This record gives sequence, structure tokens and C-alpha cells, in this order.
Amino acid sequence: MSSYIRAIRLVNFRNYRDAAVSLAPGLNVVVGDNAQGKTNLLESLAFTATGSSPRTPNDSEVVRWGAEFARTEMRVVAGGRERAVAVGYAPGQKKRLSVDGVRRDSLARYAAGEAGVRVVNFFPDDIRVVKGAPADRREFLDGILSSLRPAYARAAADYARAVQHRNQLLRRIRDGISSRRTLSTWDRRVVELGLQLLRGREAAIGPLGEMFSDALRALYGSQKAGMRYSHSVTPEAYAEALREAHESDIERGRTSVGPHRDDFTLLLGGVDLTTYGSQGQQRLATLALKFAAREYVREVTGEDPVLLMDDVMSELDERRREYVAGYFMESSQAVVTTTNREYFSPQVLKRARVVRVAGGSVIQEPDQKAG
Amino acid sequence: MARYARPVERLINELSRLPSIGPRSAQRIAFHIVRGRPEDAYALAEALREVKERIKPCRRCFNLTESEECEICTDPRRDASIICVVEDPYDIGPIERTAEYWGLYHVLGGALSPLDGMEPEDLRIAELLERVRREGTQEIILATNPNTTGEATAMFIAEELRDLPVKVTALASGLPVGGDLEYADEVTLGRAFAGRRAI
Ligand SMILES: Nc1ncnc2c1ncn2[C@@H]1O[C@H](COP(=O)(O)OP(=O)(O)OP(=O)(O)O)[C@@H](O)[C@H]1O
Ligand SMILES: [Mg+2]
Ligand SMILES: [Zn+2]
Repeated sequence: MSSYIRAIRLVNFRNYRDAAVSLAPGLNVVVGDNAQGKTNLLESLAFTATGSSPRTPNDSEVVRWGAEFARTEMRVVAGGRERAVAVGYAPGQKKRLSVDGVRRDSLARYAAGEAGVRVVNFFPDDIRVVKGAPADRREFLDGILSSLRPAYARAAADYARAVQHRNQLLRRIRDGISSRRTLSTWDRRVVELGLQLLRGREAAIGPLGEMFSDALRALYGSQKAGMRYSHSVTPEAYAEALREAHESDIERGRTSVGPHRDDFTLLLGGVDLTTYGSQGQQRLATLALKFAAREYVREVTGEDPVLLMDDVMSELDERRREYVAGYFMESSQAVVTTTNREYFSPQVLKRARVVRVAGGSVIQEPDQKAG
Repeated sequence: MARYARPVERLINELSRLPSIGPRSAQRIAFHIVRGRPEDAYALAEALREVKERIKPCRRCFNLTESEECEICTDPRRDASIICVVEDPYDIGPIERTAEYWGLYHVLGGALSPLDGMEPEDLRIAELLERVRREGTQEIILATNPNTTGEATAMFIAEELRDLPVKVTALASGLPVGGDLEYADEVTLGRAFAGRRAI
């Protein structure tokens, strides 16, 4: 059986002073009015499972206003054993990650599975993966790959750093501060790392595209969907292209080709969803991407990741709500927030764990006996 | 406005300029010194003075030394045909502790880093080339840090050495990538030396 989160305790996390939630395998529904802490609770689960917030790169935002630190503790059931993972953060200090009381010092390795559970999350703002800029799509793809392979996460970070160095060098050359002596060295370094990203992304995009297509068909209808990677440069031509771009790169002070300039296109019936998708199509495509991510993680690791879905029901019509509820119930574990429990049918709620949040407090509802 | 007596503020200020010491640690250390015995504080002050007065770079390898040449360069048992290139003097300690390496060193004084404005001319790369020509070095081991700037520096030096009759190797991987040699443990670092590869 795949791993799942049995419980979490939040201390000074967002609007929670000290709250504990116990979760069940299968569907968990988090109900509450606006601004009570539903999204914050989901965020804390992702924060503890991966070591960082999916909503903000700025850790100090999660610390409850006026508090000096935030701490989350989670109990994860993995491989029949229970483990305790915890993340502690105080602004200005290094984040503390621990598994069964033992400190972990690599965030990349922690994020790639040391917590014993992987998550795929959906926040309403994620529609930007479909609708937004290429950077949003790259972040989605790199996020999946990094959560599966620490080596990819490291290569991505090193690549970004190497490009920054190269860009600075280009500007220094342009401004007459640096000579060109080291430019080919930085080219080589950038290509070496960039190729690792290209290979990783190329291997993923095929299966991910298939899974996206299947998920969108189930959610939306019979039209054929797909995913197409668009290179700013192919791996074969990379080194050469970077060399040829020297003059114009120096002029602009920017590295013009490489995986940091790539994108992927989402297609529905041959039409680009980013440019031509309706709001509803873009929403469903976002959800389909998340379902595809779940399938992909499951295929690569053999384990079903935990789904953390924020306010997903309100955007769907009744038929789709029913389908999605079924989908969540069949997953190893899904935690789904809603302002309105009636989005779930009584039969579904009977088999789900329901947690109510109000003003940063948690009320566990007793489980109903499954019929 | 100073929160403490001026000399205490001054000490906190000086301490917080040191690497990896934030304002809080600076304050803690300062109060530790204020509370402690005078002898301890004077010993620290004396150590600081002595270091600045007596320590200088070795004229051959740029390791830190009290003499013209460092203890490693003047040790007749060391194999002078091999030079291990490191970024900083404190990278030598961890390598020495592996007891796997018996050659000499060359301290670059940093790494190539456009973001920090570090150019080849700011490093002792010309001095290295000069040494290889003069000393007839057989092998250069590039042991810069396994991070972005360290790797680029190694690549650049390998390129510069290409026309000289010297074998150029790099430490085998297995070092914590993205880290510093300073923090690598002896066993891993020792293995990296044993498994070094030509580049
Ligand atoms: N660091 C923080 N400290 C204290 N409170 C915070 C912090 N960050 C956010 N909040 C507050 O927590 C409250 C709950 O936020 P949350 O986003 O979880 O609400 P929600 O239940 O998801 O509401 P909605 O249904 O509107 O999405 C908000 O009022 C928000 O201002
Ligand atoms: Mg919300
Ligand atoms: Zn010396």
C-alpha cells in the first residue's frame, strides 16, 4: 500500500497557533467558511512533505504573525511503518528538517522523498501553468522532476546559477570590464548542466503528455489532447548555438538559448490551450495536468502520491464533481478543501474523513460507518 | 543610537562583520567576552595580532606560512612532481587529513565568478602556469570546490594547461555536489583522490 499522512500538528503556522489534524487514507474533506484556514492547512501538508511551501518562496510568510517560529510535525505511514517528520523555521535561521528525530541537511534530498510521502497539489492559482508564461510551465515540469530525482533538482539549481554567472559575464564584457577569456568556459559549463535538464524533460514529456491526454478526456470529453515540448535549441545544436549567439548575447546581456527559454504547448483538439482555451477549458486542463503528474509519479516510484486539492469542486459542474470525487476516493489519499460540503454526495461523505476548520481551530467530525 | 556602552557596540559591530556571524551571534559572543576573564580576551586579541603580523602567503604555493616558504613546500619527503590546486588555504587541511596525498599545493585565492567580479587575473593562475614550466610538474590535480564556480575554474585551468606537457586530473565525483571541500569528510575526500580522472 502506498504511503499516507496519518496526522499533522501545526504550531504557529499561518493562522494556526497550535492545532492537530488526523487524516485517513482515501478521501479527506476539509470544510470551512472563507478565510478560516483551509488553504493554510493544505499548504502545511505540502510544506512538511517537501520542506517548502508551494505558495511562496519566502518561508517567513508561513510564520504566524507575531510568532517567532513555525513548526509542523507530521506522522507518515510508509511501507507499514510510521515515521515522524518535522519542519521548523525561524526567520533568519536555517530551516530544520528532521525524520524520526534525525536532522536532514539537504533540502533537495528531503524534497525528493526523505519525508516518505510525495504530494501533488492543486491550488486555484495553478491555472497559470496553462494560462500563464513559459516560466510557469517550466516550473511545473521541473517541480515534478525535482521531486523525483535529487540529481535533477541539483542540476536545475546549478544551471540557473551558471546562467546567472554567464549573463553577468556577458554584461561585463559589453561594459568593457571583463575580457572574453572565460566565456567559452561558462558556455561549456552551461551546456553541460543544460543538457541534463533537456534529457530529463525530454524523457518525461512523452509519458506525461499521454497521461494528460487521458486525464483531460475523462474530465472534459472526447477531443484529443496533447503536450508538445518546444525547444529554444535542440541538444545536438546547443553548444554551437550558444557560440553563435555570443555577439547578440553580449549586446543584450542575456543568454538567449537553453532550457531556461523553453516551453511546452498544451493542445486540445489541435488548438493551443494557452492562447485559445476558454476559462473552463483552462481550468480543466490545469486539473488534468495535476492528475497526469500524479500518474507520472506513480509510474516512476510505484507509489501513489498524496493529492492536496484546494477548492477544486467549486469550479466544476455536477457531473464533473461526481467524477472527481470518485477519482479522489480511489486514490491512496486525497485532502480536498471546500466551503460547501454539499459539493460531495452523502454517499461520498459517509466514506470520507471530514475535518472542519474555523478561525485557525480544527474540529474533527466522527467518521461515519461505511455502509 | 547605541543600545549598549560604546565599546560593547564596537565589539558587536566588528564581530558581525565576520563571515557566518549574524547580529545575534555577534551579540552572544560579545557578551561572552565581556563576562569572561580578561586573560582570555587578551589571548584572543594577541592571537589576532600575531596572525596579521606573522602570517603571509608562501612564495611558491600561496599557502599561509610564517616563513618564505611553507612547511609543505620545504618538506623533502613530499613529491614535488604533483601539484594539487585548491581555492583557499583552508582547503588544504581536509586534504592533508585524508593522508592520501603526498604532493604539493597551489592556492588560487578563490574561484572564477562573474557575479563576484572574480577574473582569471584575480586568481593565481598565471603563477600556476609559471610554476609548471619552471618546476617541470608531471601532474596537476584540480581540487576546486564541487560547485558552479569551482567547476568553471577547473575547466578554465584545464584549458589553459592544455599546451603544457602535464597530466591534468580532477577529483573523482562522490564529493557532496554543490558543497565545499572544507566540509567534505576524510573518507570521501580520500576516495576522491584515489579515483581522480584525467580531464
Ligand atoms: N502568517 C500568517 N499569520 C496569521 N494569519 C495568516 C498568515 N497568513 C495568512 N493568514 C490568514 O489566515 C486566514 C486563513 O487563510 P486561508 O487562505 O487558509 O483561508 P481559506 O479558509 O482557504 O479561505 P478561502 O475559502 O477564502 O480560500 C486568512 O485570513 C489570512 O489572512
Ligand atoms: Mg482558500
Ligand atoms: Zn608552499
